[in-house]
Amino acid sequence: MAYIHLDGVSKQYGSVWAVDRVNMAIEKHEFVSLLGPSGSGKTTLLRIIAGLERPTTGRVLIDGEDVTELPPHKRGVAMVFQEFLLFPHRTVYENLAFPLRMLKLPKGEIEARVEWVVGILALRGLEKRYPNQLSGGQQQRVALGRGLVGRPKVLLLDEPLANLDRELRQEMEVEIRKHQTDLGIPFIYVTHNQEEALSMSDRIAVVRGGRIEDFASRTDIYDRPKTAFIAQFVGRSNRFTGTAATAGGTISLSGDGVRIETATRPGIADGERVAAYVKNEKVRLRPASAGGAGAANTLAATVRYVILRGAYAEYVLGWSGGELVASRPRSEAEFTEGAEVVACWDAADVDLFPAPEDGR
Amino acid sequence: MSMKLGKWKPGKIALLATVAVSYLFLYLPVVHIGLASFARNSNFPYPPKWSLDIMARLFSNSLYQTALGNSLIIGIFAALLSTALAGLATIGLMRHAGRRAPLYLALFIAPLFVAEVLLGISSLIFNGLFLGLQGNMISAILANTVHCFSYALLIIATQLYRYDWRLDDAAMVFGASPARTFFEVTLPLIWPGLLGAFIVTFIMAFNNLEISFYLLGATPTLPSAAWGALRYGVKPELYALATCVNLIVFALLAIMFVLMRTGLLTFGHRPERERSAV
Repeated sequence: MAYIHLDGVSKQYGSVWAVDRVNMAIEKHEFVSLLGPSGSGKTTLLRIIAGLERPTTGRVLIDGEDVTELPPHKRGVAMVFQEFLLFPHRTVYENLAFPLRMLKLPKGEIEARVEWVVGILALRGLEKRYPNQLSGGQQQRVALGRGLVGRPKVLLLDEPLANLDRELRQEMEVEIRKHQTDLGIPFIYVTHNQEEALSMSDRIAVVRGGRIEDFASRTDIYDRPKTAFIAQFVGRSNRFTGTAATAGGTISLSGDGVRIETATRPGIADGERVAAYVKNEKVRLRPASAGGAGAANTLAATVRYVILRGAYAEYVLGWSGGELVASRPRSEAEFTEGAEVVACWDAADVDLFPAPEDGR
Repeated sequence: MSMKLGKWKPGKIALLATVAVSYLFLYLPVVHIGLASFARNSNFPYPPKWSLDIMARLFSNSLYQTALGNSLIIGIFAALLSTALAGLATIGLMRHAGRRAPLYLALFIAPLFVAEVLLGISSLIFNGLFLGLQGNMISAILANTVHCFSYALLIIATQLYRYDWRLDDAAMVFGASPARTFFEVTLPLIWPGLLGAFIVTFIMAFNNLEISFYLLGATPTLPSAAWGALRYGVKPELYALATCVNLIVFALLAIMFVLMRTGLLTFGHRPERERSAV
């Protein structure tokens, strides 16, 4: 029996199903991300776990107890909000002590726990300040501290880093994951940012249109996307569309001067419209003078722009079918803008799906 | 304080003159009555011959003492009742009314558009005919509460509009029951708005003539005593009475102003700079 169970949970607003028959089992030491575009229902799902929304159907179980009918204050959960939502009329100390006072802990215990959380989140010296006297990063730490101080059964995080700048965000990612490991309680982390989900999670649930598209380890989600949506949403990919042709264990699609070949897979029939995805970093480059442009999974292209990303360079290539992006480590041979190149990738790095109806 | 002559453009002078004349028009009568009530030559107190005779006469008049007591009672209880009801109604409107909120709001503020005379008369008739109630202090308080409620609702609603109800979510997630959430988080953040509504509705009910006039009959309130006294000519006590009422109102507004200026209280008004991080 998993620590947290969502059993056929749905939520209906008017005629719209914001959450649609979600089943999930989360273990006690797991860091799980709910990753999806805005409006996909991931925050609603989190609020259902918190008890702030009542599911239309389905059950929520935490630590073996059915909490579906329990109000939020009786669930023993805690939450970190995107807007922090610190109590503006209370000092940092009082904000941190709030969950403990609600637990009716003795005064000494409250002081000790606040002291502990002030220590691990580097908030010393700020205890007497009010939230409006803190920077965004400090407010975020207080919000996180308020979430951790009561040692909840589960910590729910709703896009907690969305309002921070990039550098601070990356620092906090490391810190949040560290606290989760140290405390050994499950964190459920809602985000639309795939980098955040990939950097911290054990498992990622990709949410789309109120449903869980896939719930798997982060490496599976990234390396072996189960659906075209995941292939497009997670990581950065190049997309090719065409008609599938199966022959002798391989499946190929041709068009615009490139032939893409990969091993056959179930679910794709001969003659079906398909979309192939190749991740940017799986595309290799060599000078056009090296030849071999006619082979499968190979195309001739011209470097249009080079975008430096520090450790790697992104080459935006123009070819007869449009644009293609290749991310290469800076340690490799570099190409300048205007260079003629041959781009290629391994058959195993092609993700193939039936083309979505909407033609995207 | 050095002001360059070039700054005094004709447009600016005209503007300042208009402002000055407007304020004089508004406040000269009040100042005149104020001077008159502290002067022996109360009919034309220029220059005033200072004296407390008129004030003493007012305070030794038992009619005005009773009237003051009644007005205070009506003001305080009507203000308490209408502020409490309007606070609850606003929370209900904002949190639970959903799509029908505009309809409820329209019903709540409709009494604003009913003349107070009509409210007084119809309350008297209805209470007498159907409830068998005589006009008395309680029915006067209730009738005052009707229109005070609408004002209080508007005051509280404009201020609660800024309240972030997700703070309630945060409190509940961290273990506070709904009642605890209200007293720990909601009330400490909205009570200045409630106090503002209380002060304004108190002044309204305290100063109300029409409703009290019909529902109280012979029981005097300050406005009805003043109105009654008028029929026998303007007596100096009336000057003193007007000044006292003005002083009470002015003192209340001054308290609100000072509290806001010192940042001690915001009455729901929160400057933008306070909300962003330093």
